[in-house]
Amino acid sequence: MSVLNNTNTALDASAPELLMDLHVKYIQELDTKKQDLEYWLTEHLRVNGLYWGATALHILGKPDALDHEKIVEYLVKCQHDNGGFGGHIDHDSHILSTLSAIQVLITYDRLDAINVDKVVDYVVSLQNEDGSFSGDSWGETDTRFIFCAMNCLSLLKRLDDKRLNLPKIIEYIVRCRNFDGGFGNSPGGESHAAQVYVCVGTLTILGALHHVDVEQLGSWLSERQLKCGGLNGRPEKMEDVCYSWWVLSSLSMLKRVHWIDGAKLTRFILDSQDSETGGIADRPGNMPDIFHTNFGIAGLSLLGYPGLVAIDPVYCMPRHVIQRIGLTDKH
Amino acid sequence: MEGRHGQKKKAESPEVLKARQEHEAVLVREYCGLKDSLKEIIDSKKRDNDALRTTTALLRKGPDYYTVWNVRRTILQEGFLNGADSATADKVYTGELEFVQENLNLNPKSYWMWNHRRWCLEHMNQPRWDKELATVSKFLELDARNFHGWDYRRYIIRQLDLQDKAASDRILERAQSEFDFTSTKISQNFSNYSAWHNRSTLLGKLAEDMTDEEKGLAIENEFDLVKNAIYTDPADQSAWLYDLWLIGREERSISILGSTVISFNPLEIVVTFDETVKLRNPFTVSTMLDHVALPLDGEWRATGSDSSIGSIWIFQQAPGSVYGPTVEIVIFSDDVCGVRGGSKLASATCFELETLDQNLDNISGRLERLPIGQNLMYDVSRRIGPIPGPDGTLDTQRTDSKHLVTSLTVSDSLQDRMALLERETAAVRELVELEPDCKWPIQILSTLLSELRKTISIHSAQAKQIDDECIELQEKLISIDPLRQERYEDRRTQLVFDRETLHIIKDSKRFPEIEFANQQPRDLDLSMRGLTHIPISSYLMHLHTLNLDSNSITSTRFLRNLLNVRRVNLSNNLIEQLEGLQHAPSLGFLTVENNLIGKWEDVVAGFVFWRDGKLSRTGGHVRVLLGNNPVVENEGGEYVLEKRWEDVGEVGVEIQWKSEEQRLTEEALIAAEGADAIGRIHLEGTRRVSTTTVEFDAGH
Repeated sequence: MSVLNNTNTALDASAPELLMDLHVKYIQELDTKKQDLEYWLTEHLRVNGLYWGATALHILGKPDALDHEKIVEYLVKCQHDNGGFGGHIDHDSHILSTLSAIQVLITYDRLDAINVDKVVDYVVSLQNEDGSFSGDSWGETDTRFIFCAMNCLSLLKRLDDKRLNLPKIIEYIVRCRNFDGGFGNSPGGESHAAQVYVCVGTLTILGALHHVDVEQLGSWLSERQLKCGGLNGRPEKMEDVCYSWWVLSSLSMLKRVHWIDGAKLTRFILDSQDSETGGIADRPGNMPDIFHTNFGIAGLSLLGYPGLVAIDPVYCMPRHVIQRIGLTDKH
Repeated sequence: MEGRHGQKKKAESPEVLKARQEHEAVLVREYCGLKDSLKEIIDSKKRDNDALRTTTALLRKGPDYYTVWNVRRTILQEGFLNGADSATADKVYTGELEFVQENLNLNPKSYWMWNHRRWCLEHMNQPRWDKELATVSKFLELDARNFHGWDYRRYIIRQLDLQDKAASDRILERAQSEFDFTSTKISQNFSNYSAWHNRSTLLGKLAEDMTDEEKGLAIENEFDLVKNAIYTDPADQSAWLYDLWLIGREERSISILGSTVISFNPLEIVVTFDETVKLRNPFTVSTMLDHVALPLDGEWRATGSDSSIGSIWIFQQAPGSVYGPTVEIVIFSDDVCGVRGGSKLASATCFELETLDQNLDNISGRLERLPIGQNLMYDVSRRIGPIPGPDGTLDTQRTDSKHLVTSLTVSDSLQDRMALLERETAAVRELVELEPDCKWPIQILSTLLSELRKTISIHSAQAKQIDDECIELQEKLISIDPLRQERYEDRRTQLVFDRETLHIIKDSKRFPEIEFANQQPRDLDLSMRGLTHIPISSYLMHLHTLNLDSNSITSTRFLRNLLNVRRVNLSNNLIEQLEGLQHAPSLGFLTVENNLIGKWEDVVAGFVFWRDGKLSRTGGHVRVLLGNNPVVENEGGEYVLEKRWEDVGEVGVEIQWKSEEQRLTEEALIAAEGADAIGRIHLEGTRRVSTTTVEFDAGH
């Protein structure tokens, strides 16, 4: 079966095209902008950035546009003795960068380059008694970190680790469910589309999606679409390209992608492209960055944009990679 | 969030650009110098003022450089706080709080900063939580929707509550004062959804200590507040979402539509649910042998390729097991849960089968000869009274249940729920009249009516009226809110389907549950109803023919639950891929003309399925008419497909493509000479499918 999307998506005839070559160039040149202060100020996101870049390039059908060997070499240097990865060389371990590193290594099929057992030790060590996960040894908790942990261990096929308490995780996620059917970052936290993604993703990975009221949450998510076609993350807030992913992937896990207007969202993402430099911004007319570039392209892939490689809604990685490691039965 | 947000792109003249680049080069040099100092601090374990100042300078420039926060805390712990008395320590922490405060004003959305603030307070000997509350209130005045601010506020309240663990009145007082804070925020701006959200959690907490009467009054206040808000701006969704929550939803319980025996040798029994359920424990099957009840070994599987979830479950007795004159199935409420929303079975159910009555000529294990209605098993739950659970306790869920009135209040009488729904319906109707093109009042009206329908018999005149009105409301929504058109179409489909299948089900003795009607129709015509899917395919289990011509159906997966169906017409729909045919054991003829099937793989997917990693087969011989699908064009102009399950080596099937002309000739031949003629018919266009040539995405 082809890894490419079908080409029967409804497209707005007047919409700009996806500037595929320009985006590839934009991503390739990210590491050359050392004269910009921004380059240095975002150093803590370097590993995450690699994940966003590598994923976007795979979806664009250019998996070899970056030097694999160099990347793997670099990532190895970001792993600490405790097993976790930092956001850059000499940056402390954190679950956010640990997941990104694992995602990149699996995408390039190079898990052999690192010590996997130690990664598992690190991730498992971050679970708290109430089921939640801390982001690092300093103890901040957030449902994002639960998802990072579950995503990472699921990719490594190590969810059966005896030290984990999976029922407690599900219990904790259910405690984060709100009056509107959505999920927050902690019990009592307001529903937010990105937190919905991580909670629904966790429940999907753990086979516990029956804790979600599909009608109610699907409706709430569909109400994130605004007249301009873009999606917001909470009621009465502004649209933003990254919600194309958080909302759409959640709808996809609930099998309700059709509950929003795909053609209008496609148009909004395409309008947020920077036609001079490449890259996608949070909304039309703004500065692009790799974060929005990846989630914009990932959103387009879920919308079935022609010529893009299919993406997996749970792991946000190319679908063929998730198939290769045998995880497609999750959803 | 991790990217740039809200940074406008600006055009720069060459001079401006040059000046900016020069300035930026200075900043980069400065920043890199600081980074080098940080490295030195980490390596040398310096814990002095200089070290602290370096982190200060770095964090002012980039508060998301989280490693610096970690280094800073280490400097404090191992340097400034090491051996310090409590007063000195608190002074250090206070300094940190001031540092964070100053930076928060510049970067209110940095997770790390809020995190550092918590760390300080949690390590202080005498944290001033009350002061923090005042600080965050100010903060929420600047940005009333900042979720870091709201989170932090809830966190402070939790800390204060912890201090007052022994004084529940103070905790309650605090909850009340927080509740009042949301009132203030909402009155300043009705679209402050963060405040509405917090209100929902606080109201629940306050209600725990209220009498029924107080709760009733409190909820009336909330309805008033909502009305104020929605009359101010009926298009703002905040208050409407809160309204939906106040109204509440009667938890729909799962109904068992019935149980049927389909074979005596081996014994096969079907249990049918009105929604897709996941099996948590296999249902208990026992039989009387020599006047002793013994468990009967066997396996429960759902229909379809994923046998772990489904709405139709089949029990097959284990080879070698023996059953006596009666067989009993008990399904406990905990045995299943709904897969979409976690609905539950209201009470345990018991079915009994008299095996002495079996007529083996009639029921010889072939599903296609399943007699309709005849073999529905007896529901004996009522006769035998409450059924003790596996642990010996009685299942009393149903007997002491109360009816929901609002999300906060319950009552012994269903009348109270009806009265509330009718009152709210009348109120929202007024708004619908005032604002006919506003979608929210229409959505709420539709919800209220659907809730009302749950309180009355499905066959009552009022239920029919509600169904008709709700369908009209969806049509209105489709026209005024095109972005979410397909959501309303799905809802409309559900309503139409319910209306059109009313004769297949009846109110159960355990109202409000439902079960199969005694007489099941053999044919059903649902053509031209605008259906997007088949909401509850288990309703259709007994049908022989089903006409779904000219709808908007996108998937044929529901076929797996149509155990008896012989002929299905799905022409003129929106199907892109065949699915589920292989699980419809009696299906002989399927028409899918004029759909969107484009690829050979999408045809084959309907015939092949995998079990335990191997290509599996269910037998049968299905004719599929594929005319006017793109695949006909793509695959060379032949447009009749017939599948024949032929084993090709270990794994494989053969599929034949024929011309319409050839098919007609064959049919004429068979009509004239009987089935024997099949062997003499020349086959052409046979294609062979094996595991090595086609990959399937069976999960979807």
